[in-house]
Order: sequence, then structure tokens, then C-alpha cells
Amino acid sequence: MKKSSPKFILNYCIFLIALGITGCGEKTSEKTPAPKPPLKAESHSPAPLAEATQEPVVVTEKTRKTYQWYCAQCHGIQGKGDGINAKFLTVPPRNHTKAKYLETRTDEQFFEAIKFGGLSVGRAPCMPAWGNTLSDSTIHELVRYIRELCQCEAL
Amino acid sequence: MKSFLYILMGGWFLCSPILSHASLIQEKECSECHRVSKDDTEKSGPDLFYSGNKFQASWLKQYLQNPITIRSAGSTGDPDFLKGIQANSQKHPAVSKKDAEQITKELMALTLYDLPEEVNLLEPLTKGLKAKIKYQFERTFSCISCHQSLNLAGKVRGGISGPSLVNAGNRLQARWAASWLKSPKTFSNKSRMPVYKMEDEERLQLTQFLMTMKNENKR
Ligand code: HEC
Ligand code: HEC
Ligand code: HEC
Repeated sequence: MKKSSPKFILNYCIFLIALGITGCGEKTSEKTPAPKPPLKAESHSPAPLAEATQEPVVVTEKTRKTYQWYCAQCHGIQGKGDGINAKFLTVPPRNHTKAKYLETRTDEQFFEAIKFGGLSVGRAPCMPAWGNTLSDSTIHELVRYIRELCQCEAL
Repeated sequence: MKSFLYILMGGWFLCSPILSHASLIQEKECSECHRVSKDDTEKSGPDLFYSGNKFQASWLKQYLQNPITIRSAGSTGDPDFLKGIQANSQKHPAVSKKDAEQITKELMALTLYDLPEEVNLLEPLTKGLKAKIKYQFERTFSCISCHQSLNLAGKVRGGISGPSLVNAGNRLQARWAASWLKSPKTFSNKSRMPVYKMEDEERLQLTQFLMTMKNENKR
């Protein structure tokens, strides 16, 4: 093992703790609070949210297409949580049209969930991390788009 | 008489390149549904223009005679993909053993470029490592959310938006899988799979793990 770094050891510990927990494809109930995932160093800085000084985030046709291309596989064409993978996941994909729950989550939490994956905000790992696929500005747009879908804002 | 000979020879010269290139892939119109060259327009089925990098010849030969479902929600390029209609409920055309051998040869000649020779790929994983990678596959990276695969008990689990990985070890070349994980964009600029940034070591171990998935380990 070359440069057996602290990160490896950290990974390993988390792995040990979580050994008993099953993954996303297993049909067993999984409601254990998730440990913080072994993310890359960059993830420790808080998500930079659009600040007043920045351009306002607008949902465009491209945002919708991005959602259809990547997110709809699980969240469904209309965001109702019924994508083609949905019935194979232990934890169902979030229904993005239901305000009742989404109101209780902040935009920062959405941003983090999308960029770093479900585990990073104490949600299921079945929600993958998109931070290496989508730019921060695209992710901000997706957060806005989900707010459009649920017609709700964070309380 | 002489001119007749010239015509005969001329005809032979003209035709011979066509004859020797006469390809079964063309004859069978596989390119109706598959890109067999990088420059082809979008097609409804998966790309084949890097088949020689991607598949194991023995698997191809088998598949072409006896096609099985790999993408149960259809191919990502299919317009009906997200609707969950089994887009390929229509059976894949099958060919005879002899044709399958010929087509396999032709497909294996289609390569994009020489993939890097990466170390370790074929060494077996230790039990401990295998458990660690399985954990990453199912949780850290949530590969299983989109791919059917085998759990440690040999049961099929997982989502269907990506191709099934249940038989990855017999179907894919290890070097190709490793390269796909490094950058799917090399092969498909329109991939629906998340891009992952992993250490090389992690990526190669994950590849080794994929290569352990084989139909014969299914229970
Ligand atoms: C592989 C399936 C899958 C894909 C693809 C996917 N998600 Fe998710 N997503 C999930 C699951 C499962 C959950 C529910 C997690 C939970 O409730 O513990 C979720 C939850 C979420 C949440 C709610 C997090 C919270 O605070 O509860 C947001 C926001 C979200 N996804 C956005 C997206 C966006 C945007 C995309 C596309 C870039 C996307 N997802 C792609 C499976 C997926
Ligand atoms: C009517 C459209 C159609 C035609 C014609 C067709 N294919 Fe296919 N082919 C598909 C689809 C769709 C898939 C994906 C099936 C799956 O994943 O379950 C596929 C899968 C394959 C695969 C496996 C590829 C992979 O990445 O898994 C090979 C190899 C293949 N086809 C070769 C051929 C050859 C050779 C021909 C000509 C003899 C041919 N196909 C003709 C639609 C077609
Ligand atoms: C959000 C869904 C999703 C996740 C998560 C995902 N993939 Fe994929 N994967 C796909 C799709 C869809 C394809 C088919 C090509 C495309 O459109 O990108 C694919 C293709 C592949 C292929 C090529 C298979 C073939 O036959 O062409 C491999 C290997 C692969 N994925 C492995 C993985 C591994 C390993 C992980 C976890 C590190 C992973 N995938 C995570 C959706 C996903």
C-alpha cells in the first residue's frame, strides 16, 4: 500500500462501521443514520450559495434537459420519484413535486445532496454525487428547478 | 480477345477491394441501430465502433447467436428510454454460428485507440478488499442504483438504467472497463452516468471487482 494516507484509514473505519448496513439495491429496510461519506477533501468547504452579488439563478430549457438526462432515471420524467430505477432502490427517490417535505429542506441542503450525494446530507447513498459531472452553476439551477417542481420554498 | 482480357482484369481490380471488404456488418444492416464508425449519426442501440476495445470475443460470438437482454430499460439513446417501456422487448436479430464468427472478427477489428496497459487488473482481490470495494460499489458510489450486479450471496440486485453488470467479467475487457471509469467521455460524450474522480488504485480495484461478476457466480 503506497502512501497509506489518513484518508485510507478514515475510509477503512467508515467502512467497518458501516459493514452491517446494506447498500442501495438490497431490499431490506435501511433507516440507519448515515455516516458522513468519505468524500474528497474539497467537499469540506461549505457549498458556495449564490450570493446577492451574483447573477440570479434562472431555470432554462437547458436546466430541464439536464434534469431529464441525468435525474429522471430515478426521479422520473415529471420529478414524481417514479423513474425507471425507482422500484429497485431500497430508499425511494425523493418526489420533487411534494412540498410538504421539501419545504423542510434548505437550498443549501439540496445543493449539497446533488453535488456530494445523499450521504453528505444524512440521506440515502442511492442518491449519487454529481459534483464531477455538473458545474456548480448548473447545480444551483437544478435546485431552483426543484423549487419550481414543488412550488415551494424553504420555510 | 486482348481487350476482353483487359476488361476482365479491370473488372477484377475494381471489384476486389469491395469483395475483400464485403462485410457482414454492412450486409446485415447492423448500422441501422448501431454506430459502427465514430462519425455515424446517433443511433437507437449501443455504440459498436470501439467493440475491439470493449468486448471479449468469446462473449460476442455467443451473444450474436443468442442475444440476451443487457439493458432492460432499453438503450440510453432510445427515445423511449425514460418511459420504462421495455424498448427492446423486440428480440435482437440473431445470426448463425458461422456468421457470428465472421462478425465477431469484424467487430474486434473496430478500435478507438490503444488503451493504456494498467497494472494489477487481473490479479484476484483479497477477501477483505473485495468487501471494501463492494461497500463502495453499493454505497460510496452507488453504482448499484443504476446497474444490476451480484451481491456477495450471488443474487441479482440493482437498478436498470445502466447496462447489467451481472456478467461483466465475461463480457467486458478489464482494460476497457478501467478506462470507462476514468473517463466515460472518451467513449460517449453523452453518457448518463455520473463522472467519478477516484484514485487510480481505487479505480483499478473497482475494475477488478467488476471482473469478478460472472453469470456462473449467480445463485
Ligand atoms: C440513482 C438514482 C438517482 C439519481 C440518478 C438522482 N437521484 Fe436524487 N435522490 C435519489 C434518492 C434515492 C433520493 C432519496 C434519498 C433519501 O431520501 O434518503 C434522492 C434525493 C434527492 C434530493 C433530496 C435530498 C434531501 O434533502 O432529501 C434531491 C434535491 C435530489 N435527489 C436531486 C437530484 C438531482 C438534481 C439529480 C440529477 C442531477 C438526481 N437527484 C439524480 C436517487 C437519485
Ligand atoms: C433493430 C435494431 C438493431 C439491429 C438491426 C441490430 N441491433 Fe444490435 N443491439 C440493438 C439494441 C437495442 C441493443 C441493446 C440490447 C440490450 O442491451 O439489451 C443491441 C446490442 C448489441 C450488442 C451488445 C452491445 C453492448 O454494448 O451490450 C452487440 C454486440 C450487437 N447489438 C451487435 C449487432 C450486430 C452485429 C448487428 C447486425 C447483425 C446488430 N446488432 C443489429 C439493436 C439492434
Ligand atoms: C445514475 C446512474 C448510474 C450510476 C450511479 C452508475 N452508472 Fe454506470 N452507467 C450508467 C449508464 C446509463 C450507462 C450506459 C452508458 C451511458 O449512457 O452512460 C453506464 C455504463 C457503465 C459501464 C459500461 C457498461 C457497458 O456495457 O457499456 C460500466 C462498466 C459502468 N457503467 C460501471 C459503473 C460503476 C462501477 C459505477 C459506480 C462507480 C457506475 N457505473 C455508476 C448509469 C450509471
